[in-house]
Order: sequence, then structure tokens, then C-alpha cells
Amino acid sequence: MKRLPIFAISLIAVTLVFQTGPAQAYLDPGTGSILLQMLLGGVAGGLVVFKLYWTRIKGWFSPAAKSSDDGQGSGDT
Amino acid sequence: MNTATKTETDPGSFRDPAGQVLHLGNRVFRTVTDHGWNGFSMVWDSGLIADMSADGLVLSLQQVDPDVAGNPPNTAHLFETEKLPFVSWPFEWSFSMLKSAACLHLDVHLKALARDFTLSDASAYNVQFRGSRPVFVDHLSFRPYVDGEIWAGHRQFCEQFINPLVLAAKAGVMPNAWYRGAQEGLPTADVSRLIPLRHKFSWSVFMHIVMQARLDRAAVSGSEAVDTGAMSKARLPKTSLVNMLKGLRSWIAGLQPPPGATVWQDYAGNNSYASSEASEKLRLVGEMVADVEPGLLLDVGCNSGDYSLAALEAGAGQVVGFDVDFGALETAFARGQARDLNFLPLHFDAANPSPDQGWAQGERAGFAVRAKGDAVLALAFIHHLAIGKNIPLPRLLNWLMDRAPEGIIEFVPKEDPMVQRLLALREDIFDSYSFETFITMIRARAEIVNDVQISESGRRLVRFSRRQEAD
Repeated sequence: MKRLPIFAISLIAVTLVFQTGPAQAYLDPGTGSILLQMLLGGVAGGLVVFKLYWTRIKGWFSPAAKSSDDGQGSGDT
Repeated sequence: MNTATKTETDPGSFRDPAGQVLHLGNRVFRTVTDHGWNGFSMVWDSGLIADMSADGLVLSLQQVDPDVAGNPPNTAHLFETEKLPFVSWPFEWSFSMLKSAACLHLDVHLKALARDFTLSDASAYNVQFRGSRPVFVDHLSFRPYVDGEIWAGHRQFCEQFINPLVLAAKAGVMPNAWYRGAQEGLPTADVSRLIPLRHKFSWSVFMHIVMQARLDRAAVSGSEAVDTGAMSKARLPKTSLVNMLKGLRSWIAGLQPPPGATVWQDYAGNNSYASSEASEKLRLVGEMVADVEPGLLLDVGCNSGDYSLAALEAGAGQVVGFDVDFGALETAFARGQARDLNFLPLHFDAANPSPDQGWAQGERAGFAVRAKGDAVLALAFIHHLAIGKNIPLPRLLNWLMDRAPEGIIEFVPKEDPMVQRLLALREDIFDSYSFETFITMIRARAEIVNDVQISESGRRLVRFSRRQEAD
């Protein structure tokens, strides 16, 4: 992957933080809740949820895909 | 009257970096930090809080000079808010109380959104009861709405409002003991497992409980698939958010407590009392209240609130009732709401009342700390504890007299049919349960104002006063 200049990375990071919104700094909204709202919020969100399930479905047919389970994005916080 | 001159930080107020709650004697203040003022200044200047407090939805708030509370640290701005006579926790509420608190939370959120503000959380602890009406108390939860942001409090709203209500309404299980143990609400995944299949087809149950639990599980177990980048950019159009809140509002308003009358629901009309006995009790309660003029009266074992209402009619400022029976509490709350009374009926088990709990066991004060009134009523109560739960009578009386300096305690003799019913299936091991023990114990700590026999079975109402007690 082509390396991005520091400035561009910072800009993206700042944008992401800004888009996360101040509320989420105070309260962890929970993974399931975010995904549900993406689903309810529109087609774009729905695709992310679909992708999540699709990756799992693909995983059933691919024995190598069952390796990592680091609990990333756990809703149990 | 408490005339303390030193401010104390509310032990439950530490999570919010925007500010804290301070107590100074009988006054309650809210500090706002510089950081908090960034968002809250817009809320304050808009008049949103003033308008909602005028409508009774939000506790009133006035800006005051920080000097009033001795210039507390980290305080850019200081506000004074109303002091509630009694603070209660969601796990002490009946079904209908939790439901009315949920509806209030949604109403407040919708009204805020209409003016481009939102709430940073959705905790049931944001709500208290002023009399029989829920009121939103956490002013610093308001902040400007960022267009398209997701509802950050959704999961919390589910755990603290929806899940306990659905567990009761759809599975017929009262959530209070679990809620109290977990404090921050019922986990969605657990409640999802307990809902009967036929109720899972309801849109709201399916989306907010079943689907949310599944998505949570999928995201955790299939970590490689979770696109956190996409999640952090998740957007929920404002119309979708408003529709979701409105949908939840009308769905929750339609939820009903578990069916079936409980033992005590018919108690007022189906017990061993003769009506002359009840009218004598009402008269004695009214007389005591007229003499003592209690600002806060505690009615321990309030049942559906007959004597609480009599106390209010006689001039008590506020009555907090306590009872173990959910059916009786439903009736009590409905009576209070219908007449807009300063009556707060709470769920409690006298043999195991709310403990001090939460962070450092100071966050949510227990029963012993909060339940201090100007007068106490314990009518048709002691036999349930002394006979039903083996609590020694002297300890029980001390505990009751600790609640208030004045009060009425009813003695129910062993010969009474209600006590006979408690003893029907067990051995009588209660040799010391007698009027002699009862009156001796009360006299050891208090003056007996009067002692009136109210039934042929030998029930007596003893009014005590320990105003002279040097404690």
C-alpha cells in the first residue's frame, strides 16, 4: 500500500474522531447497538451488517478462517 | 433543618467530565466545568431547560454565583437545582413507574431534538420521581445534536428501560432483584434468551432485543469481520432517530404489567379487618399527622396506599411508601398519579432492603441512609417480619424507630387471624412475640403518646415520640 503523508493521516484521524461525535466519548454505544442503527438507518449501513454476516458464512466453507477471536468490538464494556 | 456550611460532592456524581452535583445543607448545586460549558452553554442559552422545567419534565435550574457554594474547584459555572425530598432507584420502581420513566425519557429526548439538542446518555438514573410524576434530573445530559449522529444511548436505554419492562410484560418475571444486582440494567443478550418465542415476532422486541443481541454476538465472535472504521462513521438520519424514538414511545406506552392479581392486590377488600377498625386506624393516622406535620412520612408496608393517602390528606408533605408486593404497588402508584399526589410507592423487601451499592459502595445509597423521615407508619406490618421472617421483635422495633422520631406502629397479636395464617404451616417458635415485649421495647426509647386497641382480636396502634431522645 502506498504510504500516506503524515498530514493526510492526521486529517483522516481528526475527521474520524469528529464524526464519532462527542457522545461516544462519554458512553460506549455498544457494537450491536451501532450495527442495529446502521441497519435501521439506511441501505449503506445495511451493507456493513450484510458484510459481517457474509464473512461469517464464507468462514463456514473456509477452514483457515477460524483462527483469530480477539474479542474486538465487544459490546460487553 | 440542616445548616451545613461545607459542600459535599454527591457520591453518585463522578462519571460525567462536564460537571458534578454538590450538596450544601438542603441546597443542591450543579457545577459545570470549562469543558462541559462548551456544549452546555448552547443548551442553557437556548432556554430549553427553562421551558421543559416549566412543563414539569425537567428539574428546575437557576444559574448562581459560584461564591454561593464557596467557589468549588473545576467550576466554570454554577447552577442551583431543586432538592427532591426522596431519591429512589429504578430497581425500586414498580412496572408502571419504570414505564412512565421510560416515556418521560423519550419525551424529553424528542423535545430536545425538535430544537436541535440531544441527550448524551439514556440512563434510568437520569429520572427521579417528584411525587407520583417522573422528572428528568440530569441537566448535563443535554448537548447540541450533531447532524446524522447515531443514538449513543440506545444500548443503555435497552438495558435500563426496555429489557426490564419486556421481561415483566412478555415473560411475566419481575426484573427488580436482577436489576438491583446488576445496577446498570439487564443485558440484552440474557433477556433475549428468556423471551418466549411468540413474543420475539413483535417488531420492537425483534429489533431492539433479539437482533441487537445477535449483532453483538456476531461482532464479537467474528472479529475479523467487524469493520470498526465503518462503525465509527455510522450515521443515523435525524428522521430515522425521531421515528425510532416515537415508535419506542408508543410501543412502551402499550406494555402492560404481568397479568393476574397478586395476594395483596385485593387486600383492602379481602382481609380480616372490620370496617370500623379501618376507620379508627385512619382517624389515628390523621391525628398523628395533624400533630406532627411531617414533611416526609415513611409508610412501611404501605400496601395499596390507604393510610399514605390519609396521611397526605391530613397534611403530610410527602409520603414514601414501601411494600414487597408488586400488585399493591401498581394500585398505589395509579392512585397517586390519578390525583397527582406527593406519594412515592417503592418496592422493597424489609428483610433485605436496598444496600449501599455501585462504585465504592457509595454511588447508590441504600435504604438505611435514605429512609429517614419526620414520621413513620408501620401498620399491619410487624407480624410479617417477626413471624414470617424470624426477625426478633426488639430489633425490628428499633429499626422502625430509627426511621423517624415520631410514628405509629401496629401490634398484631398471635390470636389475630392474619398471624394464625402465618403460623398455620409452621411451629410457633415465637415465645417473645407479645404485647409486653412490644410496649417495653418502645417505652425504652420513646414516649408513648397513645395506645389504642382497634380490634377485638387485640390489635393495637401505638403512637410513639422520641423527640426527647438525646441522640
